[in-house]
Amino acid sequence: MPDYQEKAGGAGGLGAFLAAQLKPERVRTWRIVFFLALAVTALLNLVIKNHEPHFGLDRYPFFWPVFGLVVGVVMVFLVKKLVQPCIKRPEDHYGDV
Amino acid sequence: METSSFYHPAAAFLMTAVALPFLPGRRRWKWLLLIAPLAAIYGAFTNQPGDYLTLGWLGQTLKLGHVDRLSLIFAQVFAVMSLAGILYSLHVDDRGQHIAAVLYVAGGFGCVFAGDYLTLFVFWELMSIGSTFLVMLNRTRESVLASFRYFLYHTVGGLFLLGGLLLRYKALGSFDFGPIDPSAAQPYDFLILAGFCVNAAVVPLHAWLPDAYPRGTVTGSVFMCAYTTKTAVYVLARAFAGWEILAIAGTVMAVYGVLYASMENNARRILSYHIVSQVGYMVAGIGVGTAIAVNGASAHAYAHILYKGLLFMGAGAVLYAAGTQRLDELGGLAARLPWVMVCYMVAALSISGMPIFNGFVSKNMTIFGAAEAHQTFVALGLEVAAVGTFVSVGLKLPYFAFWGGKETDWKRDLKPIPVNMYFGMGLLAVLCILQGVYPAVLYNYLPYPEAVHEFTPWTPWNVLQAAMLLGFSGLAFYLMRHVITPHKALNLDFDWFYRLVGRALYLLVSRPAAFIDGVWTDVWNFIGLRGLMSTAFGAVFFDKECIDGVVDNTAYGTRGAGRVGALLQNGKLQYYLGLMTVLALGIFALFFYGVL
Repeated sequence: MPDYQEKAGGAGGLGAFLAAQLKPERVRTWRIVFFLALAVTALLNLVIKNHEPHFGLDRYPFFWPVFGLVVGVVMVFLVKKLVQPCIKRPEDHYGDV
Repeated sequence: METSSFYHPAAAFLMTAVALPFLPGRRRWKWLLLIAPLAAIYGAFTNQPGDYLTLGWLGQTLKLGHVDRLSLIFAQVFAVMSLAGILYSLHVDDRGQHIAAVLYVAGGFGCVFAGDYLTLFVFWELMSIGSTFLVMLNRTRESVLASFRYFLYHTVGGLFLLGGLLLRYKALGSFDFGPIDPSAAQPYDFLILAGFCVNAAVVPLHAWLPDAYPRGTVTGSVFMCAYTTKTAVYVLARAFAGWEILAIAGTVMAVYGVLYASMENNARRILSYHIVSQVGYMVAGIGVGTAIAVNGASAHAYAHILYKGLLFMGAGAVLYAAGTQRLDELGGLAARLPWVMVCYMVAALSISGMPIFNGFVSKNMTIFGAAEAHQTFVALGLEVAAVGTFVSVGLKLPYFAFWGGKETDWKRDLKPIPVNMYFGMGLLAVLCILQGVYPAVLYNYLPYPEAVHEFTPWTPWNVLQAAMLLGFSGLAFYLMRHVITPHKALNLDFDWFYRLVGRALYLLVSRPAAFIDGVWTDVWNFIGLRGLMSTAFGAVFFDKECIDGVVDNTAYGTRGAGRVGALLQNGKLQYYLGLMTVLALGIFALFFYGVL
């Protein structure tokens, strides 16, 4: 991609590399890498176990993957769909922007 | 007292502030800015525990240099951060900004080594003044307004502290600054605690922080994010360790901060809410109060100053280059600002507690401390906050600032980023990774060395737990990326309430008080002033007609007194208030000399 390299010239090769990653096939590759990594960490949980559970349920495998996913999804939904509509105002609500 | 072996890091910063206005040249003076941070680093690494620099003032013995392991670890990170911050701001030509920054940093060092409440209070207020100017000198209407609100806020917080320390002195006869037993807490201790909690941004006293920090100068906010809240963490750790209420308050802060950060659109406001959240971890650790938990809080303060400074540097660099910090206006910049993105991501992974980075060590130590002390809900709350942290500041902010599902934005005009900003960011990025990979550089300086080996960060389970927690939080972000997309909006927070109080006070002063003032002025003009003048004229008449030539000067004297009296008693309430303050200060000083 000479065009990328030329324009990101000031930033060295890294800018060109990052620009090239936005091509759809690269995005697909990265997505697969991400899902594979998730699967590997979850499977490792069957081998490496928590020997000092603090919360009770965390003695079982897959507690932390489920915790991360559920807390993340619920938190975003709660905040963006339920809380923000109630407390949202125009940016210049206080007249000082 | 071996005063010779102690160097107070505030000294060179104060001297820099005094010298800056007089230094010649357009840019050459900037190199002198580097002296104070380097001297501070030398001091922080060589000072030994002990009491130094005592001096008498107002009949009290001020201890300017109380040094122990707790003050040393904070001084150390303050010193490192001051070097990174000054490197990052070297391109700024405005001397005012540099003066504000060095005064502010000097205040931070003064607080950390203060051995008594009076010294603490003086430096506490110095920080408040310096940081106000770091906001104001952004020189937009928005920033100037925010700086006034910020100053009002910290003045009120400072008054809590002043009231508490004076009452405490009256009760105990001492200004000594040390641990307070929660079971023997007095009302004045709670006043002091409230003063500290304002600066620690404890919810609901936190509203000043997300109000002011996004409006500071690009470089000023880098300083501010490090010192005010962490000085408050330090004083809480010194005086209020083991106060149960702080464990609860800290957990609330940790969760509250990430919830607001998930909503926000303004990059530096997201980071500001994350200060509230991260300081929550430290406050919770202090509230738990065990040796390992206070170690965790101190380690987290250390790590936090490094990565939060770096986050503000990264977001500031984007703002500097692109001219906006609103996420909905950014995106497609990864290839344009690749090294800013890399430095930002180092900090983002640090704050999220990813292995290899320093947050992995310090955050897990704090959670471990809480769990070991059987504070299960505190520990669980902090884990929830960890998920929210990664989702909002580890993924949402960089995703929408640097990618946002957009093509690389080649057309946008970007202001070139000065190379010194990269030096500042690079220094902090290296330190974030160094502490994560080699925790001994952090462990060696923790305040309770006997407890450091209770927690080992690099175990297979800890690494896997962090990887799973963050990996699947990442999956949650991936699934919800269209829901979390930021939009322009203002999200109401507790400052709504404080603005209401402010307006009510303003109305009270401008309407009823002004009315009473007006009536009072009329009454005075009609009765008081005429009475005084007629007395004076009467005296003149009496003098001239009766005892003229005997005590010639009496008449002029009385008339003069009448005029001075009329000048002083002009019927304006604000003058009377000013006079009262001067008198009160005089009586206050006499009181102290009397005590001696």
